Amino acid sequence: MTESTKLPSGKPRIETIEMRGITKRFPGVIANDKADFDIHAGEVHALLGENGAGKSTLMKILYGMYRPDEGEILLNGKPVTIASPNDSINLGIGMIHQHFMLVPTLTVAENVALGLPSSRGALTDLDRVSKRIVELASIYGLKIDPSAYVWQLSVGQQQRVEIIKALYRGAALLILDEPTAVLTPQEVDELFVIMRQMVKDGHALIFISHKLHEVVEISNRITVLRDGRRIGTRLTSETTKQDLANWMVGREIGFAPDRGKVEIGEARLKLEKVECGSDRGTPGLRGVSIEVRSGEILGIAGVSGNGQRELAEAITGLRKVTTGRVFLEGKDITNFAPGDITELNLSYIPEERMRDGMIKDFTIAENMILREHHKMPYSRMGFLNLSDISKHADELIAKFHVKTPSRETHAKNLSGGNIQKVVLAREISRNPRAIIAAQPTRGLDIGATEYVREQLLIERRKGVAVMLISEDLDEILALSDRIAVLYEGQVMDIVPRSEATPERLGLLMAGVHPEVSS
Amino acid sequence: MKKFVLTLVLALALVLSACGAPATEAPVATEAPAEVPAATEAPAATEPPAAPAEPFRVAVVMPSAINDLAFSQSMYDALVRIQEEMGGPEAFEFVYSEGMFVVDDAAAAIRDYATQGYDLVIAHGSQYGSSLQEIAPDFPETSFAWGTTADTFGQPNIFAYEAASQEGGYVNGVLAATLSQSAVIGVVGPIETGDAKLYVDGFGAGVAATNPDVTVNVNYIGSFSDVALASEAATTHISAGADVLTGTAQMVVGAIGKAEENNALWFGTQSNQSSLAPSIVVASQVYHWEVTLREIIALINEGTLGGTSFKANLANGGEVIEFNPDYALSDEAKALAETTIQGIIDGTIKITLP
Amino acid sequence: MISDLFSVTVLIGILASGIRLATPYLYAAIGETFSQKSGVLNLGVEGQMLLGAFAAFYVALSTGSLWLGMLTAMIVGALMGLAMAYVTVNLHAQQGISGIGFYLFGLGMSDLLFQKLMGNVETVKGFPKIYIPGLSDIPGIGEIFFSQNILVYGAYLLVPLAWFVLNKTTLGLKIRSVGENPDAADSLGVSVARIRYFTIILGGVLSGIAGASLSIALLNVFQQNMTSGLGFIAVALVYFGGWRPVGVLGGALLFSLINSLQLWIQVLGIPIPSDIAVMMPYVLTILVLVATVSRVRSPSALSKPFEREN
Ligand SMILES: Nc1ncnc2c1ncn2[C@@H]1O[C@H](COP(=O)(O)OP(=O)(O)OP(=O)(O)O)[C@@H](O)[C@H]1O
Ligand SMILES: [Mg+2]
Repeated sequence: MTESTKLPSGKPRIETIEMRGITKRFPGVIANDKADFDIHAGEVHALLGENGAGKSTLMKILYGMYRPDEGEILLNGKPVTIASPNDSINLGIGMIHQHFMLVPTLTVAENVALGLPSSRGALTDLDRVSKRIVELASIYGLKIDPSAYVWQLSVGQQQRVEIIKALYRGAALLILDEPTAVLTPQEVDELFVIMRQMVKDGHALIFISHKLHEVVEISNRITVLRDGRRIGTRLTSETTKQDLANWMVGREIGFAPDRGKVEIGEARLKLEKVECGSDRGTPGLRGVSIEVRSGEILGIAGVSGNGQRELAEAITGLRKVTTGRVFLEGKDITNFAPGDITELNLSYIPEERMRDGMIKDFTIAENMILREHHKMPYSRMGFLNLSDISKHADELIAKFHVKTPSRETHAKNLSGGNIQKVVLAREISRNPRAIIAAQPTRGLDIGATEYVREQLLIERRKGVAVMLISEDLDEILALSDRIAVLYEGQVMDIVPRSEATPERLGLLMAGVHPEVSS
Repeated sequence: MKKFVLTLVLALALVLSACGAPATEAPVATEAPAEVPAATEAPAATEPPAAPAEPFRVAVVMPSAINDLAFSQSMYDALVRIQEEMGGPEAFEFVYSEGMFVVDDAAAAIRDYATQGYDLVIAHGSQYGSSLQEIAPDFPETSFAWGTTADTFGQPNIFAYEAASQEGGYVNGVLAATLSQSAVIGVVGPIETGDAKLYVDGFGAGVAATNPDVTVNVNYIGSFSDVALASEAATTHISAGADVLTGTAQMVVGAIGKAEENNALWFGTQSNQSSLAPSIVVASQVYHWEVTLREIIALINEGTLGGTSFKANLANGGEVIEFNPDYALSDEAKALAETTIQGIIDGTIKITLP
Repeated sequence: MISDLFSVTVLIGILASGIRLATPYLYAAIGETFSQKSGVLNLGVEGQMLLGAFAAFYVALSTGSLWLGMLTAMIVGALMGLAMAYVTVNLHAQQGISGIGFYLFGLGMSDLLFQKLMGNVETVKGFPKIYIPGLSDIPGIGEIFFSQNILVYGAYLLVPLAWFVLNKTTLGLKIRSVGENPDAADSLGVSVARIRYFTIILGGVLSGIAGASLSIALLNVFQQNMTSGLGFIAVALVYFGGWRPVGVLGGALLFSLINSLQLWIQVLGIPIPSDIAVMMPYVLTILVLVATVSRVRSPSALSKPFEREN
């Protein structure tokens, strides 16, 4: 096989990159502790590790966003200094961040052109950029409209913009930090197609994910980090999912949670023909009628963007219900203020936890009492009771294994997965009557995922009504008693667990009634 | 380190704004005023007594700069003259806070001065009234003066002073009506109240009494400091045909410039505004607050701390019409002005305000 | 009497003074648009204007050169901007508070210098009117648009220029992205600090010119606190204009035209109390804002300091 040394973009390949003995300290934490990592052209190297293991930090060092305290980086065998993203971009390194780095108010072409020299000097050359985007997109079979505004795009489309951005800059090495966390299964498949094509062309790809089946499917090699150190690198062909799980967490992980038997009780949450709008002005929900009963988990399946977000927000008072009624334990709470609904003991784990679930500049302890801060014991006569707040925070940090130097750390400095845990801990620990959990395990490592699923089952056993909104069919099938499928704002069908198969749900999610089609 | 630099920057800003605006020590040795104030000839039943061992100490808070060629300057000039008369800073000492257009800042300054034991604290601005009403009872030993107003709030330690600015306004109006050829006159005022309203109304009465066919267009711009709007107001008057303009308060400096550009005549008030546009300023009504101040000081020295209100007018020399020597005003016009002044003083001319 | 408002003289008068009154707002608000677009709220505009106004006036008075005055105003504005940039970009100061600090500094400093260097209100001969050949002879239009001084023309030319820079240049793209998502810009190698330094200093320069446009072009005097809140209205106009130069132009013109209309209403003796008349520009501007609200969002990173880590 004759491999050329150039990529289809005309940029040179990166044959190897080696990171040696990388150490990075943050106040109170060692994020990377003499970590090693290497990658070569034509492979997908997966990086695994629990939340807070230091994966993102290591990659940000490679991308020049952080400076390492110790260690060196070798490019094709020669030491290089990467002091800023500018340096890494010039070396042919690109990165797709765990939290997207796009400017929503700009168009796709503008996002791509940002920071690049223009062929027209001081003037932008968006026409040329757009043309080149279309060219690049066609090489990799990406569908993208260069003149669309980023805020109009779905999450999957936004990710494609990120990939194009990197390709456009001639990235020979692309770091993908949890790219699949926010994608639908179909979008993941599409991403993998692109990734395989890129590898074939001679790119080097670093892939971070908590989903072991994805890692096994796409990678050539796997490196596991724990507490900032590399604990080993293996060939994917020589390992299995179960091996990986045990290796990573250091203990046995069960993939099928124990559901147990539970008495199903009265309807706690009930929607009657609820309709509401969406952010884009189109109808969000169209006559949704469902109920969630005490002791039951109702799974809400569906491809993202079919009304899941609107459903959660309509119930929690964050979105105006235009017609129809919402009842909580028989009480009509339609269009109540969110605060009043909280008072009635409805818990909500929002999908966009970074944005809707917490205050980034508050400490963990403060974030953990966001809902209850004005109540006993956290507040006495308007004064915050700091010792009880601290005790509460420490308890939850221990119970939910939040990896943090202290309860006083600002939420924004936590790793992606640990941010999620803070919100989960707060919402589950307040003894709710009903819980709405939207994508509760997104971004969590396998240990934490297991823990959260157990917690939801425990709540169910206590008689809490749980609405589980998830795009992960495995999760839905593993936890739900009944499954409602949302399609274009309507409930296609509600299927009992015993009759639910991935195939049947898949058809419903695509808007097809099995009876009609067969 | 960063915190330190930041604090430094902010502190510097505050210090500068502090020495820019409030609490500036008055120049100790001031040159003698160029002209002998007309008021020294005025019957001085209340000649200040010989300098006591301790100097008489006055503090004044005013809304604009001491050299605004208007309201604040009129008070500053008066204090300088009094100091001169009484024999310099050994006998009469004064400090001032200028540019106190924010009433809360002014209130703080007034309280500060009272605490420091000044014999007389002057709140030179009608907008300071309610602050003074609150502060004065806390300092029963200190005498306060508030202008321009007639209201002492019935408190024993507040003097009130005002100018009968309609009198000078009337004289200016008479002259303006005589000089206007287009028979349109424009007036630029700040806010329709107090001293400004008196002047503007008096001016209108003077014009009407002289030539009822002359139109007087009045424009209140809603601000004492918006020079730009005052300037546009003047332009508006000129577009509407005015060839003579007048105006009151410190923001009129903008209007005077426009008058000069368009060769329209200007009548000033509060201070002598001739220096701004020597070719077009005809005359200015000038306040001589020293007339009032002398009386107040005498009362304080006798032990009376307030309760009286004073009015500066043409008769007591608290108001003087000063002609601009650079403007060639005809002798007849000058004579007309003199008879008008005399008429107002002896009461043969009655000014009726709307 | 109301019908008097529609006479040619009056209409020309209203338009011509509206155009003039809008001039300082335009310079200051366009400058502020740049800094807000990059995520920096500069409340020190008023102070920068005052110092600019004084610098221009004093230099023009003592050297006789208006252009030298202009240049000094620009330098003074740039230095104020530089200081503001250091405090907000490097020290991560709370922008609202440091802006007020710079306002107080400009207010105090301009007065202090005025007292020390001049001591009396004086006048200069400002920039003369420039009659654009041909165009200035058109009846009405000529007087309104083509018989103004150079700084008035400059202010209106600035609007399309600012639009062009913001929307058609790579610099503009960087400015917009830094104000919306500095992390994204940073991750693409755009220096957030450098862009913000640039916009804040540019804002300072334009505020300096705004001050100069008052002291040596429109009014030709300097007086303590002569801007009297104009700089703060300029900041408000940026919000009104939805962070777009054309919107800012619309706001500045609306506000100024109603102000000049209000002057004429009083002059013509239309029986509206003066207290009500002077409120008209504010009230109507707010009404328009309310009526057209909801369209534009402020730059997402507005007034948030940027810090990568360490
Ligand atoms: N900017 C920062 N300031 C302080 N601490 C930080 C910062 N970034 C990361 N950390 C800490 O460093 C550790 C490693 O974080 P990192 O984001 O690399 O984890 P991760 O492996 O990517 O986890 P996840 O799977 O949850 O995304 C964590 O303990 C985190 O709290
Ligand atoms: Mg991470």
